[in-house]
Amino acid sequence: MKEKIKSAKVLCVGAGGIGCELLKTLVLSGFEDIELIDMDTIETSNLNRQFLFRRKHVGESKAKVAADSVRAFRPNAKIVAHQGNVKESKFDKEFFQKFLLVLNGLDNVEARRHVNRLCLSAGIPLIESGTEGYLGQVTVHYRLKNAAGEATHVTECFECAPKQSRNKTYPVCTIRNTPDKPIHCIVWAKELLFARLFGRPDQVTDLDENKNKEGEGDGKEEGPSVFLRQDGESADAYAARIFKRVFTEDIENVLKMEDLWKNRDPPTPLRLDSILGQSSSAASDTHGAASNGTAAAHSNGGLQAAGDSACKALGLTDSHRVWNLRENAQVFLESIRQFLEGRPGEVGEAVFDKEDDLAVEFVTAASNLRAAAYGIPQQSLFNAKGIAGNIIHAIATTNAIVGGLIVIEAMKLLAGAPEHSKATFILKHITNPKMKRLLNAVSPGEPSPKCAACGTARLELVIDTHTTSLGQLIDKVLKKRLSLVEPTVRTDGGFEYEEGEGLDEDEVEANRGRLPLMLDALPGGGLGHGMTAHVEDQVQEFKVAIEITHKDDWDEEAHPEGFILGGSVPPSAPTANGDTSVAAGPSAPAAVSDGDDDDLIIVEAPTLAQQQRDAKGKQKRENEDEEAPRKRQRAVQQSDNVIELD
Amino acid sequence: MSGVAQQRLQQERKAWRKDHPFGFVAKPRTLPDGSVDMLHWDCRIPGKANTIWEGGVYPLELKFSSDYPSNPPIAMVCLSIINPDQGWRPSVTVKQILMGISELLNNPNNSDPAQTYGYEVFRKDKAKYARLVKEQARKYSDEKYSTL
Repeated sequence: MKEKIKSAKVLCVGAGGIGCELLKTLVLSGFEDIELIDMDTIETSNLNRQFLFRRKHVGESKAKVAADSVRAFRPNAKIVAHQGNVKESKFDKEFFQKFLLVLNGLDNVEARRHVNRLCLSAGIPLIESGTEGYLGQVTVHYRLKNAAGEATHVTECFECAPKQSRNKTYPVCTIRNTPDKPIHCIVWAKELLFARLFGRPDQVTDLDENKNKEGEGDGKEEGPSVFLRQDGESADAYAARIFKRVFTEDIENVLKMEDLWKNRDPPTPLRLDSILGQSSSAASDTHGAASNGTAAAHSNGGLQAAGDSACKALGLTDSHRVWNLRENAQVFLESIRQFLEGRPGEVGEAVFDKEDDLAVEFVTAASNLRAAAYGIPQQSLFNAKGIAGNIIHAIATTNAIVGGLIVIEAMKLLAGAPEHSKATFILKHITNPKMKRLLNAVSPGEPSPKCAACGTARLELVIDTHTTSLGQLIDKVLKKRLSLVEPTVRTDGGFEYEEGEGLDEDEVEANRGRLPLMLDALPGGGLGHGMTAHVEDQVQEFKVAIEITHKDDWDEEAHPEGFILGGSVPPSAPTANGDTSVAAGPSAPAAVSDGDDDDLIIVEAPTLAQQQRDAKGKQKRENEDEEAPRKRQRAVQQSDNVIELD
Repeated sequence: MSGVAQQRLQQERKAWRKDHPFGFVAKPRTLPDGSVDMLHWDCRIPGKANTIWEGGVYPLELKFSSDYPSNPPIAMVCLSIINPDQGWRPSVTVKQILMGISELLNNPNNSDPAQTYGYEVFRKDKAKYARLVKEQARKYSDEKYSTL
């Protein structure tokens, strides 16, 4: 076993929070042959948990520094660092096939999917992980085969089970009229108000609708420019006008919808002059408000319109303290002013960025003012930033546990004991008081026949993508060879071709116009070498992914058709339960379908339990899905191999 | 894009082509370069016959996220079945959403209004409401709205 570990060549994807812990645990467990990919450079905010990095490393490649730091205490380890994006084409199937195992410590779903698909295609087991605050999970994904090529152990792939997202959407009416939680106010400030004031003017947000679409005749009509700065309007006057519009007039308007407030507490309109504590009678639409309150003191400073921070200008340094109403109003006005005067170039095309102090200050102040109007608790800058930016603070201990679990799963696979593989979830609370367990380990799920990544049959098509048109592909390959009737062809780049039933005349026309295009010149990046065509049929139950390989020299005698189709062509009968994997690599494209069904795997329908293998079980609880509690219970029953923590 | 969202939208598209209510349109948006944005559907809902909405064909955008169908699509309409806190279920189809909105046009939900003005007129002056709606119906019977 020691030898196996020592000689095992493994790939670590990601050298961040999990990556550092994983790399350390790997080398201390005896792994010596490791390659490491990470595209990022080290930032100061990483240093509290990514312990292979020191302050002096800030700005350097994570992969390289991590490799150097580990070499310092394990000189025997052979660690190759790649600074790059795992999606780059140099990290292709052949690259992945050099490894015995792939270990993921990634921070985004896109890259995880990409690695999952490469591992599927290269046939390399993947140990996948993730953490989110106190929560985390390690899952194992593989299709192991014996010497005869028969599948012996198969798990679900990373994409088989839908991932519960923590990005919640909120109904438009709640955000616009009846917020009752801080998050509703923050979404309003960030998605509606910020976008309206500083984003692209053609981006109509729901804010406008209150007045613009109501029709004519009442003299209430307003141009779409209410939220734009008027010619000659000072930044302060503009800020005061916006304040009045959104916190006074809009609230008054909403109050008129009496039915809304039958069972709710009605909001209270805010008045800028009373908040700022001066009863200037001039505080109406125009320059009156500009001379009001302390905002004016700063605006006259002129030099401070740096456009970087309203808090700095106002001396609000404690980001954990909740501002009072007056401070919120001041930050609101000052941040608008700084935006207009400090960064005039960005107004009209700004996008909210959680790292942009001024944007976060604006959103905090605006959401707190709205919260004040609606009697909702207000947030400190720090909290509002966390909510607005969907930030969950990383916890080093969770990463360390996950790193250790990855190594344990890796060892099980090296020991030839895949039957002991577990998907392990780190829980935040002890859910079952009798068990006192924070780690919930369950058997890996079974693959879903409906999975887009591993459940669809895959074929390999070698063809000249420069000289073959879409029409030829459809006629020769899809209709003649694969017996499709009304094919739909899609690419990952967003190209789509449809024919057959249920299309309007203009759609038929548009699709027909695409037929003469050459494959590599199709819209959305083409269908060239290395790309995948997703093909289904409108009238048949048929679905297949075709991987395209380009070849330009064709020997007409050897291949009179001008293409080579490799892999197991699925039967044209319904294939809902069939799962065909392709044996042919690029080196063996001649393996045309010949009824060789060795690699046909029949899988059963997925179990319910499979769907709960999702670390974010907490979301499930809030989910309206009534089945969730049952699923959770099932998962707990399955946890026959749980590690006790206390 | 999420494989799940992509797949589900392809299913929705296939089902819609097989069977959809007369006069309704729902299709993924084609971008200027000829590629298709599966997350962004342009829909049209015809006003029901024998109602003040008759004659109009009302455009609606459905914006799907990569979390679909865990999360509902976003539309500028307040409708319980696309409200994640109320009636949304991942099994709700595009067809059901559009039929629901069509129904809502003639039976507005007064306890959850979306627009101040429309709400006020509807409550206080039904005749004026009918007149305004008919104006809208005329506006949206225009060629430029009824063909994409």
